[in-house]
Amino acid sequence: MLIELDSVSKIYNQGQPNEVRALSEVSLAIPPQTMVCLKGPSGSGKSTLLSIIGCIFAPTSGRATIAGKALARLPDRFLTVHRRATIGFIFQRFNILPALSVVDNITLPLLPLGISPKVRRERAVILMDQLAIRHREHFPAGQVSGGELQRVAIARALVNDPPIILADEPTAHLDSRLSSEFMQIMADLKHAGKTIVITSHDPLVTEHPAIDRVVGVKDGRIDVP
Amino acid sequence: MFLNAWSLALTLTSIAGIVLGGIACRTAIRVLRHWNPASDSELQIRLEGEIWLSSTLVAYGLGFQIVSLILFVLAADEFCKVIVGAMCATGSLLANSYGMPALLVKLVGVFFYGFWIVLHQLDIRSESYPLVRTKYLYLLLLYPLMAADVTLQTLYIAGLKPDIITSCCAVVFAAATGGGTNLLTLGSENLQLLLYYLTMVLLLGLGGLLLWRWNRWLQALYAVGWFWFFGLALVVITNVISSYIYAMPYHHCPFCLLKPEYHYIGFAIYGTLIGGAFLGSSAGLVEPCKRRAGLAEVVASYQKRAVQISLILLLLFAALTSYHYLLYMASGGEV
Repeated sequence: MLIELDSVSKIYNQGQPNEVRALSEVSLAIPPQTMVCLKGPSGSGKSTLLSIIGCIFAPTSGRATIAGKALARLPDRFLTVHRRATIGFIFQRFNILPALSVVDNITLPLLPLGISPKVRRERAVILMDQLAIRHREHFPAGQVSGGELQRVAIARALVNDPPIILADEPTAHLDSRLSSEFMQIMADLKHAGKTIVITSHDPLVTEHPAIDRVVGVKDGRIDVP
Repeated sequence: MFLNAWSLALTLTSIAGIVLGGIACRTAIRVLRHWNPASDSELQIRLEGEIWLSSTLVAYGLGFQIVSLILFVLAADEFCKVIVGAMCATGSLLANSYGMPALLVKLVGVFFYGFWIVLHQLDIRSESYPLVRTKYLYLLLLYPLMAADVTLQTLYIAGLKPDIITSCCAVVFAAATGGGTNLLTLGSENLQLLLYYLTMVLLLGLGGLLLWRWNRWLQALYAVGWFWFFGLALVVITNVISSYIYAMPYHHCPFCLLKPEYHYIGFAIYGTLIGGAFLGSSAGLVEPCKRRAGLAEVVASYQKRAVQISLILLLLFAALTSYHYLLYMASGGEV
C-alpha cells in the first residue's frame, strides 16, 4: 500500500474547552496508481484526513504510513524533505502567488532543492506544454483565467514529480466545464502512474469513471454504507 | 557584589540555564518512563513533539552555561580592580573559597555540557530518535553539575568583599621555597617542553593516521591523548610558556594572559586548547553511538570532522604557544 492509515485519530485543542475530535480511529489503505475520493459533508473530517495523509498535521494517535514511512512523525528536517519528494498538493483556492509569473509559481517548489534556473524552467516548460498554458508563461498569475490558474496549481503540484497528488475540494470554485477538464487531467495523471486522493462532494468528481473508490467520511469516521 | 554588570550578566545567564534545564528534566523523567518509538499512542506522539522543544531549550541552556565560563573569567578579571591586593583574575578568584572551585566546575562543565550538545546534534540527524533515552538520562545526571556550577558561582559572587585583602598572582604562582614542592617545581623546563612537544607530535601523528585509516583503538588513544595533553598543556602554559609571553622569568600567572596588555592572547590559547581537547576526546566518546539505528554514518562523519578540526586547533595552539618562545630563542635568548 502506498498510503496506509492505522487507527488514526486527530483531536484539535486537546484538553481545552474548545476541544474538537476531528477523526476517530480511522483506518484506510490506498494502493499505488489509484484515484480515491474522500466524500463527506462539511466538517466531517475529510480535510483533516487529507492533511494527515499530506503530513501537514501529525495524528494525535495512530500511524499514518506514506510510501513506507510514518512521515508525519519524522523530525521536521526529514519530514520536509520526504514530503517535498512524495506529495504534491492542489489546494481549494489554489494558493497561487498572484504577483509572480506563471512559470515562477510552477517552479516555486524547486527553489529549496538548489536546482539551477535552467533545469527549473525546463521542467516547468514540459508541464506547461502538457497542460496547455505555455502561452501564459510570463504572465503574472493574478492575470490569468480561473481554468488556467487551476492548471498552474496542477503544474506546481507535479513539478517535483511526486508519486502522490492530494487535492482538497479542487472543483469547489470551478464551473462544470472546468471541473470536467480538471478530472480529465487527474485521470491522465492516474494512468501515468500517480496515486490521487481528492476530497469532494461534487458529483462530477465522485461519479467520475476514473475514480476507483469513494470513501465516505462522517463525524470523523469512515462511513461504511 | 551582585549589583555589578558582570555579576548580573553571570547570574542571569546561569538562572536561564538552570531554569531551561529544569524544564527539560521534567520531560526527561517522562521520556525515561514512557518513551517507546514503536508505539502509536497519544502519549508517545505527544512526547515526540515535546522533546523537540525541550531539547532545543536544553541545547540553549547548556550553551549559556558554556558561555558563562568566558563571562566568569572576564568578570573575575574585572573584579580585581576593586579587590584589595588582586592584580588579575587569580586574586579575584582567591578572594574567597568558592572562586577556584567555581572555575574548575565551569571548566569541567564545558566538556560535559558540550558532549550533551554533540549527542543532541547526532540524534536529530537521524529519522528515528535513536539517542533520546541516552541524552535525557545524561541530562538528569548533568543537572546536579549545572546546579553545583550555579551554586558555587552565586556563593562566590555573594562572598566577594572588596575590603578583604587577597593574594597577587606573583605570590600564588611562585616556585616553592625551603625544600617544598608545588606546580612550579614539578620538573625541569626542558623536560616539560620535551613532553609537551612529544605529545603534540604524537597527537598530530595519531590524528593523521585516523584520517587516513579509521581504527577505533587508535581513536580511543587519540581521545585519551587529548585528555592527557589538556592537563599537561595547562601545566606547561603556567610553568614555562607564560613567562616567555610576559617576557618576565618569574611571572607565571595563567590568567594575566587574558589581559589586554598581552593582546588577549590567553583567549586564543585557551580557546584552541579547550576546543581541540573537546573535539578530540568527543570523537572517541561518541563511538558507541555508531551501533544505534541510522547513526553509523552520521557518527563517522562527525568523528572525521571533529578530528580534522581538532588537528587544526592543535596546530594553531602550537603556533600561539611557541611563538614567543621561538622568538626569544631566535633573538639569542638562553634557556
